Amino acid sequence: MLFAAAVPLQAESFLRNAPAPFAEWLTNSIFVTAVVVILITWLARGATRSMQLVPTGRQNFFEALVEGLYNLLEGIVGRHMIGRTFSFLASIFIFLVITNWFGLFPGVGSIGWGEVKPGSMLPLAVEYVKEPLLRPGSADLNLTLGMATVAMVLWFIWTMQEVGPGGFIHHLFAPKGGMKGFVGLMLVPIFLFVGVLEVISIATRPVSLSLRLFGNIYAGENVLGLMIGLGRDLGFPPIFAAIASVIIPIPFYLLELMVGVLQAFVFMLLCAVYIQLSTSHEEESAH
Amino acid sequence: MEQVNALLEQFGFDWPKFIAQIILFLIVYGVLSKFAFGPIITMLEERRRRIEEGQLNAEKIKQQLAEAEQRYSELLQKANTEAQALIEEARKSSAAITEKQLQDAIRDAEGIIARAHQDIEVERHRMVADVKKEMIGLVVNTTAKVTGKVLTPEDQKRLNEETAAQLAA
Repeated sequence: MLFAAAVPLQAESFLRNAPAPFAEWLTNSIFVTAVVVILITWLARGATRSMQLVPTGRQNFFEALVEGLYNLLEGIVGRHMIGRTFSFLASIFIFLVITNWFGLFPGVGSIGWGEVKPGSMLPLAVEYVKEPLLRPGSADLNLTLGMATVAMVLWFIWTMQEVGPGGFIHHLFAPKGGMKGFVGLMLVPIFLFVGVLEVISIATRPVSLSLRLFGNIYAGENVLGLMIGLGRDLGFPPIFAAIASVIIPIPFYLLELMVGVLQAFVFMLLCAVYIQLSTSHEEESAH
Repeated sequence: MEQVNALLEQFGFDWPKFIAQIILFLIVYGVLSKFAFGPIITMLEERRRRIEEGQLNAEKIKQQLAEAEQRYSELLQKANTEAQALIEEARKSSAAITEKQLQDAIRDAEGIIARAHQDIEVERHRMVADVKKEMIGLVVNTTAKVTGKVLTPEDQKRLNEETAAQLAA
């Protein structure tokens, strides 16, 4: 029951015997995401329910986190955008860190349904977990693509609010570097082409954002599953295989802890950079 | 497009699940914005404001302290100067009074001496006059007794004048 070879690419239904529409959309990853939402709500409410001027405990932790993120993001998106974008960008980070780390809880991805293991001493043991009971939200493309979509929609709204449609088109296609006259005219086709490339780059952002996160977390789940079952796959005696299933994954758990933070950070940072690129007023201020 | 759809399907993309995940993320965004970031940023601003206020107050207090110290120093210096002036004045007054008293004493003493001299002189004159008178009386009586005659007023007058002239010499 505790061994897994590979996590399936798709999230499975959490309630296998539930009525059709309900079972269809309530997947194991959506269930985990909902648990994460409840956990974050509980943590946030607990941290800010009775705020003190001299912070302690959870409030202190949240304040340090928020202050650190605020200073970091203000340096990227600028003072003029931080008020509008901070909540969203910081939410991405906190939500993704907890979601990514949720996959490291024992049992997440490693307990589920599969073929019954013949001759096992454990009553519910399976050979391989084919359908895990729980799956981290970020190991489901629906979540990562959903977040990337929300990020791009908000990016578009903030860009339009800040520079307007004309400014946005100018930012994409207009010659840069302050070239005028004949040289400027010569550069127009080049910058038009660059603009088209930029549009393609923007269009692929949701895909790159979502697949990067999904790929990393999904791969991490698979690596952990493989490491847990490595002793058995190498033909170790059952007792050694059981010991190996605990010892071998430890370095990979530490790696996944780091990957969880890193991927959340990268997602947030890329969103911040996209916002900064389209809302900065460097060219205007340079003139 | 069909290939993209097939790829998405292979990865488990499904509109209801996709929307459910978006809703869950938006709930987190809303919860954190309302219950975490809003109050915390307000608190951080409040704390920053208080710190700035405290720094300004500390600066003000420091300035006030410096001013008070300077005022105190000035007052002390002024008091010292005034005290020195008072002491000097007192010293001068004391010297003048002493001098005046000395002069008065000298003058009094001189007066006393002068009066004593006058008294002595008057006493001496009185004594001399008395002596003269006594002597004249004695001379007249003695002469009368020696000569055995009654002296006439002219004799007496002459004797008086001679005696007086001799005594005066």
